[in-house]
Amino acid sequence: MTATESPSTAPVSPLLALKPRRVETGLLMMVGVAVAVAYGLASFGTTEAIPANLGPFLLWMFGLGAVAHVANRRFASAADPVFLPVALLLNGLGYVVITRLDGSLAALQSTWTAIGIGGYVATLLLVPRARIIEQYRYLLGIGGLLLLMVPLVPGLGTEINGARIWATIGPVNFQPGEFAKLTLAAFFAGYLVDSRELLRNRLELRDLAPIGIAWAGSLGVMVFQRDLGSSLLFFTLFVVVLWVASERWVVLAVGAVLFFGGAFAAWTMFDHVQKRVDIWLDPFADPKGDGFQIVEGSFALADGGLTGTGLGQGEPGRIPFAETDFIFAAIGEELGLAGSSAVLMAFLLLIGSGLRVALRADRVFEKLFALGLTTLLAVQAFVIVGGVLRVVPLTGITLPFVSYGGSSLVANYVLLALLIRMSHEQRVAIRPVKASL
Amino acid sequence: MNLRIRRLGAVLGVLYLVLFLQLNRVQFFGAERLQDDVNNTRGLIREFGRERGPIVTADGVLVAQSVEYDGSVDVRRRYPEGELYAHITGYQSLNVEAVGLERSYNDELAGDPIDQRFASLGDLFVDRNSTATLVLSIRDDVQRAAAAALGDRKGSVVALDPRSGEIIALWTFPSFDPNPLADPDGTVANAAFDALLADPDTPLLAKSYREIYFPGSTFKLVTAAAGVETGLISATTPIFPVVTVYEPIPSGAPIRNFAGSDCGGDLVELLRVSCNTAFSEIGAEWVGPEQMVDTAEAFGFNADLGLDLPGAAESRFPTDYGERLADVDRFRAPDQQPANGAETVLPNGAVPIHENSARLAQTAIGQNDVAATPLQMALVAAAIANEGVVMVPHVVTELLAFDGSLLNRIEPEPLRVAMSASTAAILRNAMRVVAEDGTARGLLTEGVVVGGKTGTAQLGTDPPNSHAWIVGYAGVPDEEPSLAFAVIVEAQEGASEQTGGRVAAPIAQAVIETVFR
Repeated sequence: MTATESPSTAPVSPLLALKPRRVETGLLMMVGVAVAVAYGLASFGTTEAIPANLGPFLLWMFGLGAVAHVANRRFASAADPVFLPVALLLNGLGYVVITRLDGSLAALQSTWTAIGIGGYVATLLLVPRARIIEQYRYLLGIGGLLLLMVPLVPGLGTEINGARIWATIGPVNFQPGEFAKLTLAAFFAGYLVDSRELLRNRLELRDLAPIGIAWAGSLGVMVFQRDLGSSLLFFTLFVVVLWVASERWVVLAVGAVLFFGGAFAAWTMFDHVQKRVDIWLDPFADPKGDGFQIVEGSFALADGGLTGTGLGQGEPGRIPFAETDFIFAAIGEELGLAGSSAVLMAFLLLIGSGLRVALRADRVFEKLFALGLTTLLAVQAFVIVGGVLRVVPLTGITLPFVSYGGSSLVANYVLLALLIRMSHEQRVAIRPVKASL
Repeated sequence: MNLRIRRLGAVLGVLYLVLFLQLNRVQFFGAERLQDDVNNTRGLIREFGRERGPIVTADGVLVAQSVEYDGSVDVRRRYPEGELYAHITGYQSLNVEAVGLERSYNDELAGDPIDQRFASLGDLFVDRNSTATLVLSIRDDVQRAAAAALGDRKGSVVALDPRSGEIIALWTFPSFDPNPLADPDGTVANAAFDALLADPDTPLLAKSYREIYFPGSTFKLVTAAAGVETGLISATTPIFPVVTVYEPIPSGAPIRNFAGSDCGGDLVELLRVSCNTAFSEIGAEWVGPEQMVDTAEAFGFNADLGLDLPGAAESRFPTDYGERLADVDRFRAPDQQPANGAETVLPNGAVPIHENSARLAQTAIGQNDVAATPLQMALVAAAIANEGVVMVPHVVTELLAFDGSLLNRIEPEPLRVAMSASTAAILRNAMRVVAEDGTARGLLTEGVVVGGKTGTAQLGTDPPNSHAWIVGYAGVPDEEPSLAFAVIVEAQEGASEQTGGRVAAPIAQAVIETVFR
């Protein structure tokens, strides 16, 4: 690392200069009010009654927020105060829309939220320093690959909606891939700490072998599991982290060639990939069949217009998978361009804060790890929102924090906790310096 | 590395900018195109599932209302009177475009117009029921009497107030039950539609204002009006010679009276016996093409009548009679007439003869290509009853707010002036003679002044079939007539001039009795 990349050159926003936890308290209050009002309105819009369980809901929600906030105060007191409120806002908004779409999912989603917050607190507890993760990088890498393969194991794996990405243990279905992406991000970062000096000077196949294996393995598993979205996510994670670590453009060039080569190969080899591309190019060719979901999603967004139909007043239930893949369209319909833009802004806030952690990190591992986690979040949100908006071919993945889905929610809270952990570490390191000025 | 991270940030920023731009395209700039897409049923279903105002007759009978529905939508339309008002209310269906008042007053029924939504400043803050109630000019008792009198014969009955254009009865048999068509269950509605569309009698078509028929002799009223308007013909002069055949100038198929009979006399007599030969001559040689077309169009032919129901048909009077050949002087003997092709401009009384004046001889008695809706023929009678003024026909008189207060009153409005008041008075008297001592005797009703004109439009079939027509007016003695009507019974056996009077007059008489009871 060069001298110009010392932490002090990273931008410090005015918010961060204040006492971060006090700022977080204020932001959480606003989020709480916004979500509570949205919940009441959604219920009023669908049933024309104030929900009977408004009180318990508020207690539950404020309780979970308070738990996470207290955990921050105790275990990550100096961390950036933007992460948690923005994540809770997305989570709360998603919960409101899920409840409004299908009341039977609400209880499950609130349980998963609680587990997610539990995972968040546990991560803060178990990972007092990010470098602990660095020590276990190979273990995590192997663990990630194993996690990815779990759904392929007979008896454990379950195929749902054409993708074999589910594992069933007892009554619980979960997607191990959601957690694998975290461990693989840790592995990529840790491995590149070791080899980046080599890579910067000469890029040889030999040095890339382990990481290449990890990449090819994860891609292979993904292809077998027919999960295109995750496949794309892992690939982007790999290329981005390698590019930043090696500081070589050739990585991007090779990545692009690999991407388009792989995409073309997948297109020629797999019918379902061809179908996805065809739908992307012209969903109106078969508006009642293959293109139905995209077409209905577009109609929902168009109905939303600038200000939306109002919560509970639209017809988002017409879109297949409105509570998971297409929740962005459901939000756009009922909250309009204003609401859907707000969701995009929320992700931009998270991404900006995540990149700031990467920028300000003084150790290579933290830099690459924060970068990897942020990339995961950014690309996942882009791929699914872009799919809904027909910017890219649709691949069925969740919108982080917003979509219904336990694994995704828990994994993303863990991801958030890891970013918060690193943010806290660097701000603790800076604080005495600032105090002396 | 930080440089790369910043660049990554920039790339992500651009990617999200693309998302944001596309989001604007889908939700704002391109939203209308998406909402209008043929595959987009959202608007349809939303529109369909909305509460709409009721429709009631002048005497308070509910003929359309929104009722609660347990299913895909909250409310659906019900038409309590079934087929009796189907051609007026129309229906609101998920499967096809709405028809009838459901279509023409869609916005008002749904409560969309700004003045309905925000009657006062306070309405900005409350979600008030802004749907409008439509009050019809239709009288349920008259509508019912018309339907009962026509029975299961194919035909139409139109009754209206000649002074205002307000329609009192508008009935066509066969009709249909609009309720299944408005079913929110698409398969129920589709099955009902398919059955109705397969029916050769086309019950979905509101023939009273959407189908055109040969008007037969009832059209002679228009020709008579045009003749009087020339100033050459009055109720008593000239006396047309009694003939059995009229030979058109310059040439063409001769016009004969029914069954080779002969007729002639003054205008009243011509109308009383419905004299073909004389009216052909009046049209072709006294009035001429320009004036005939003008008068027919002044009655409403070849134009939209401004009816407040959608899909109304235009009645048709041919306008092409070829090149102008010569002028005929009414006041010179035939041997003094100029030869064909001579350009002699004559004073008062000159009638231009055209290449195809023979066609005019036919159209003047409602044959050839003349075709009229029953509504149009009722308006012919109405104009005569209303001092020559045709009023815009309509079925809706008032729009009421949810609380019963008046939102809007549809004021009577003149459409055209068909003739002068004096011409109208001459024809009104002539029609009264026809009713008292001619083919329209079936109209006579105690205590009511009536006038009429029958028609028998031969269809050229074997055995002979005809549309039986009657048009006319009725009123309290010494007052302006308050009722004008037209009745057509389709494809009746027989072709005599008596057919119209025999078949159609009793139906009109039942309407008159009900109105003036």
